[in-house]
Amino acid sequence: MKTHALASLAAAAVLSTALSGGAMAANLKLWTLSFDNPTVVAAWNDIIKSFEEKNPGTTVSMENRSTDEHKAALRVAARSDQGPDIYFMWSGLGLGGEFVNAGLSKPLDAYYAEYKWDDRLTPTSVAASKAYAGGRHGVPYTFHGEALYYNKALFEKAGITAPPASWDELKADARKLKDAGIPAITFGGTVNWHLMRLMDAILEAKCGADKHDALKAMTADWATEACAADSFKELRDWSETYILSPFMGIDQAQSFNLFLAGRAAMMLEGDWLVGQLRDADRLADYDLFPIPTGTDRLYSFSEYYYVSARSKAPDEAAKFLDYLLSDEVQQKYLGTFGSISVNADVKYDKVNPLDQRWLDIFAKYKATYINGDQAFPLDVTTEYFRVINEVASGNLAPQDGGKTLATFIANHK
Amino acid sequence: MAKARLRPQTEGYLLLAPALAVYFLFAVYPMLDVIRMSFSSWNGLDADSSFVGLDNFRAVLTTDPVFWGALLNTIWWTALAVTLPNLVAFGLALALNQNLPGRSALRVVFYLPVIIASIAVATIWKWMYDPFFGLFSNLLTEWGWQGLVADWLGDRRIALWSVFVAHLWQSVGFSMVLFLAGLQGVSATLIEAARIDGAGRWRVFRHVTLPALKPTIAIVFVLSVINSLKAFDIVYGMTGGGPAQSTQMLAMWAYTQSMQLGDFGKGAAISVILLAVTLIVVIPYLKWTMGQSEADR
Repeated sequence: MKTHALASLAAAAVLSTALSGGAMAANLKLWTLSFDNPTVVAAWNDIIKSFEEKNPGTTVSMENRSTDEHKAALRVAARSDQGPDIYFMWSGLGLGGEFVNAGLSKPLDAYYAEYKWDDRLTPTSVAASKAYAGGRHGVPYTFHGEALYYNKALFEKAGITAPPASWDELKADARKLKDAGIPAITFGGTVNWHLMRLMDAILEAKCGADKHDALKAMTADWATEACAADSFKELRDWSETYILSPFMGIDQAQSFNLFLAGRAAMMLEGDWLVGQLRDADRLADYDLFPIPTGTDRLYSFSEYYYVSARSKAPDEAAKFLDYLLSDEVQQKYLGTFGSISVNADVKYDKVNPLDQRWLDIFAKYKATYINGDQAFPLDVTTEYFRVINEVASGNLAPQDGGKTLATFIANHK
Repeated sequence: MAKARLRPQTEGYLLLAPALAVYFLFAVYPMLDVIRMSFSSWNGLDADSSFVGLDNFRAVLTTDPVFWGALLNTIWWTALAVTLPNLVAFGLALALNQNLPGRSALRVVFYLPVIIASIAVATIWKWMYDPFFGLFSNLLTEWGWQGLVADWLGDRRIALWSVFVAHLWQSVGFSMVLFLAGLQGVSATLIEAARIDGAGRWRVFRHVTLPALKPTIAIVFVLSVINSLKAFDIVYGMTGGGPAQSTQMLAMWAYTQSMQLGDFGKGAAISVILLAVTLIVVIPYLKWTMGQSEADR
């Protein structure tokens, strides 16, 4: 009788603890990419440690892999119970969408409401979570904008006094630079996504927002849309006339070195380049402006963390993500994961002029367009890269670029 | 009590059993599974794959814009990799089989690139090929031959051959060692007898050394063909298949389809085609060399 009473008491205690919700316990597995930067590694370790301290009984183990290994591991995990509770992936229908469509990601609508993420996070960074059918997926970890950086001295030498406000002005400035003997812009062709940025920007400028989106969503025909052919023609013009040549055999790191060496006037890069310029002690030599496409949309992409649909502890996983996105963490590690935070309430003090430019840009733009490799399915992205490179290197006539891509899309499963 | 003795054949099979089990598990079974998968559609995420018959092969052969280029590159690469590095290796082996001062050191020097990881070789050569800051461009500029500076890895007309030069540098040592081992197995008595019979250097080489090297040449040939057909790491490290997939190879394209694009059926179909090409080249040659060996007996 005494034993029975004790057991009942113990059961009641356990039940009461569980119902109170005060002590969730779980071992969360977080799968993400390997970090090269020791500062980022230290920040993650601190974040996990302090979360565990605030949530006794819950542990977070982080597993890091290279990009391809990470994707392969997620494929294996898709059919296993040994996978992650939280996983990293870019946003967008191409990269993030592959795993969302396969059912690997849990819809987070309830957590968006519970934690009020829509109120606390920047609208541009959460926009991609709404792109999927069947609910909200993932939360933003970083949000990156891409713009044109320029060498102030080279612009001055070419007689350019103000950043261009339209695509035509940009082209006119590129011509002025060329006439002054200065290659207008540098790209690294071996990493396909670098030159892709130029094509994405051209499409936005030549096709406008709606048609550009339709082309990327493959609902418009690349073979018949006149702006698609115009865009490939424009790309060829840039590669032939304005890009520092040769560029197909170098990567973006080599391209950056050339930019630092003053061999080209502009570079189309993300907000992370500010950190690289700071490390090179060259912040004062450069400035930046948004790509003047005329659509009032910012070229950008996000990196997300998703909660696995197979997680046995989705509540704890969401709680960890909420902690990661909290004012406390985002303020403390401001600048560690990107120039700006996805948290709208973070305060920025003592920012350098280039970071201030970015803050102004992020504040100004309400709409975005994303990188081609995040918009297309993976196989179409591969073909998009190939066609861009073929046109840029003169092996495919610009008027055939759209048709070639359209043929591939028509055969796409 | 008489001890139970196993028959020698049974003993042999028992000793082979663990190795055979591992081989079947990690080589034969995956190979059979790849063949099965080549008739299926699977994205690596869904629980099940579905049977699609010959669809993957049809897609690869008719609508894939990269496959035929990759096949052609693989054939060219193999044809060159079987001849050029082996000819150079054979010449080096003949030279280093002589009584040269410092020949051991020279053997080490020529073998050294073999022990460097391909991805490291790729990094080194990629740097040397940099059109702006690379070794070759700087040397050519310094010598006043700026006109010869090229976009070594970015021009589709020369990119594959630029990578091949790096491969040649790396692979010559391996064949050289095999040829050296073969040369040291050539009977000195036979050579001496031929010389006493009045044979000159060329006739000794043609009628004594070369026939004695037949097994070595067969091994070098087969290994070169197999290694060339599955060429991957150095191309991946130097160009990633670019520019515009112009240096793509079959093995790398199979990997890309499966592991990067998640189309395991198509990747498997390309692997099966690669396997078929390998067998078409290797089996007749092995049959021919085995027939020659029989005839020589």
